Amino acid sequence: MKEIEAREQPSSAGAEQASDGAAPVSKAALGRAIVVTSGKGGVGKTTTTANLGTALADAGKRVAVVDADVGLRNLDVVLGLENRVHRHLLDVIEKQCVLDEALVRDRVRRTLFLLPAAQNREKDDVPEAAMAALVRTLQERFDFVLIDCPAGIEQGFRNAVIGAQEAIVVTTPEVSAVRDADRVIGLLPPEMSVSLIVNRVRPALVKKGTMMSVEDVNNILRLALIGVVPDEKEIIIATNRGTPVIDIDGSETGAAFRRIARRILGESVEIPTFAVNAGLMARIMSTLGIARS
Amino acid sequence: MNAKTFVITSGKGGVGKTTTTANVGCALAMLGHQVALVDADVGLRNLDLVLGLEKRIVYDLVDLIEDRCQPRQALIRDKRVDGLFLLPASQTKDKESVTEEQMRDVMRKLAAEFDVVLIDCPAGIEHGFRNAVAGADEAIVVTTPEVSAIRDADRILGMLGGRRARLIINRVRLEMVKTGDMLSVDDVKDILGREVIGVVPDDEEIIDTTNRGEPVVLDAGRRLARVYTAIARRVLGEDAPLPSLEDDGIWNRLRRLIGSKA
Amino acid sequence: MSRRSCLPDGPVQIKGTKSGLLLHLYERPLADSVLELRSRLSATPDFYKGTRAVLLLGSAPAEPPELAAVVATLEQFGIVADGAVCDSDAVATLARSAGLRLVAASVAAAPRSRDDRTGPPVRSGPGRSQPQRNGQPSAADAQSVRFHKGTLRSGQSISAIGSIVVLGDVNAGAELVATGDIVVWGALRGVAHAGAQGDESAAVYALHLEPMQLRIARSIAIAPPHEKRAKHATAEVARIREGKISIERA
Repeated sequence: MKEIEAREQPSSAGAEQASDGAAPVSKAALGRAIVVTSGKGGVGKTTTTANLGTALADAGKRVAVVDADVGLRNLDVVLGLENRVHRHLLDVIEKQCVLDEALVRDRVRRTLFLLPAAQNREKDDVPEAAMAALVRTLQERFDFVLIDCPAGIEQGFRNAVIGAQEAIVVTTPEVSAVRDADRVIGLLPPEMSVSLIVNRVRPALVKKGTMMSVEDVNNILRLALIGVVPDEKEIIIATNRGTPVIDIDGSETGAAFRRIARRILGESVEIPTFAVNAGLMARIMSTLGIARS
Repeated sequence: MNAKTFVITSGKGGVGKTTTTANVGCALAMLGHQVALVDADVGLRNLDLVLGLEKRIVYDLVDLIEDRCQPRQALIRDKRVDGLFLLPASQTKDKESVTEEQMRDVMRKLAAEFDVVLIDCPAGIEHGFRNAVAGADEAIVVTTPEVSAIRDADRILGMLGGRRARLIINRVRLEMVKTGDMLSVDDVKDILGREVIGVVPDDEEIIDTTNRGEPVVLDAGRRLARVYTAIARRVLGEDAPLPSLEDDGIWNRLRRLIGSKA
Repeated sequence: MSRRSCLPDGPVQIKGTKSGLLLHLYERPLADSVLELRSRLSATPDFYKGTRAVLLLGSAPAEPPELAAVVATLEQFGIVADGAVCDSDAVATLARSAGLRLVAASVAAAPRSRDDRTGPPVRSGPGRSQPQRNGQPSAADAQSVRFHKGTLRSGQSISAIGSIVVLGDVNAGAELVATGDIVVWGALRGVAHAGAQGDESAAVYALHLEPMQLRIARSIAIAPPHEKRAKHATAEVARIREGKISIERA
């Protein structure tokens, strides 16, 4: 009964409610639950979750993105939805509200929903079994459930992983990030299917020999590679504005995320080699806006 | 020798805590102090990598806490800089192997033998974070001028148990500040409301140096070396001026070369 | 810093870890430790029954009967002392003659044969032979091979009585500890410790030997800094030659 009421009346704060964009699906078509993790912080988990979720929604899928970073939530900011957050994941688990009250619908993509994290609580507050049950409920209603995992390998990480059947490991081509990614891979359940995104690639530096190549990275990690994302200052601008980078015209990073979404949907899309030629070199330097001293 | 212990923390991962710990630590040692750097990121250790000392690890923080070794066996002496020592984290254990009480204990012992102790804090606000903070007198919060990082730093400032906290703003891209695409130092100061002891410009060389395990501070000629040395002085309470990001001639010349709008 | 300042008050410290007990007996006359142990364990005689213990002996010289008395006392309370961490050769000899195997500090703490991803931990139980009292692995142990298929990830570790064979890479941050040999059919980038009980004839084999550190018996070798060893087409083996670890074509 409560659930139907929630659908028909907008909450007093004006947050939009889930309606036919997220109708329950038959048990036979359970959505895919994918955790986006890395070990190392700051390599792009949240950006990846937001952009992949957005791209999958653009492809017509019903998508729920879950911010599992209790206490340090950021997925709402990256999606530009922070002003619409009223209830959160913990409220749902503790039965302070129903799922529909907590889900925040994206302003642009009507089949994309965010389940925000609580800002003022701590990760030890969330029991693993409850997380698993919540993810399962989401899988019954969405084609894709993307779980944004916090940095580290502590309880927050375990909570994020517990409900998922698939994992995307995000790393940058740096020794520390790869080491941490390796650690994380070793902690994922053996039956989970795991793929790799290498983020913040700078082809010029790889050519110079001061940055690991994607091949170097995957010689160590040995995973199925589903994406290579180049570095751009556009990412920072996008994050600060709360716009997914796939919406920024001409962004190579955005294009890369779109390709990854297509691969997740089963399409066979080639991973482009980001060749570096003289003209491109200058363009890259100006894009990155970085001085070399 | 009764050292002040500082925890280098941030909340958000990837903003440069470990790089900061390594470089400020090196700079302090190069200024003549006895410095202990502690990696509190049990299970995800990186400070050893950034310092290029990973191959020399035999004992680690957890071995020391469980009394399997003496401090002198666990502390790795940096051969490049006199007075610089690293207490590495364990890679095969997890953070729940250490309690706050144990951290306090070990830090107290280190403080008795060194001038300065810097603790590299893990990302997040969980057990590892609490352990790292427990062992410290003061905090240095590292952030980048970017919404998510500032938000997390703000959260962290509220979880330091009243300890004094000062800021380092990392990865500032001056030209993006000028075009309004990045918050300025003053913006960050206003939001977080703490003293800023360092502003570090974004520099692609950092990636190379961290990959090679050669802290940039070791090369006195580099701009970043001057920046970190000034920070080191300010950590100790000196009133060293923050080098201006504008003064670098090469920086300006290059911007003209690639024709960015000034 | 003096050793004493690290240790709590009281002659003997008993610490529980995931792999058993650690008994701190540094710098103390063993005769005193025996008395102390007996009185403490009598208070709760069944509490530690069935546990294994590693003795931290340090480098203080002692007589064989004293150490034997410690071991016997522990046995009375159901505690099997089966290892010792020793800081000097003299103490190591003493420990061996008392039937204790030599344990590196890192092994003392490692949960036995813990392997996060690829199967249940190997425990000592029925069907697994126990190390013999003379300090050397039994013949059966020496033959036993712990086999691991797949990449060993950073933070994972395998400890085994006998030898270890890995079909895959051993990444940096991973650890292998074996009383016997170690064979890596892949790239060895982590830490490998062969002959962990003191067998200096043990060896480490790998298709690509690029380790963080190699340990054989009580020797440690560290790769030179920043050396990018050319990818050798052949497998290599590390052994102790003339007291030092050296690398040869396998």
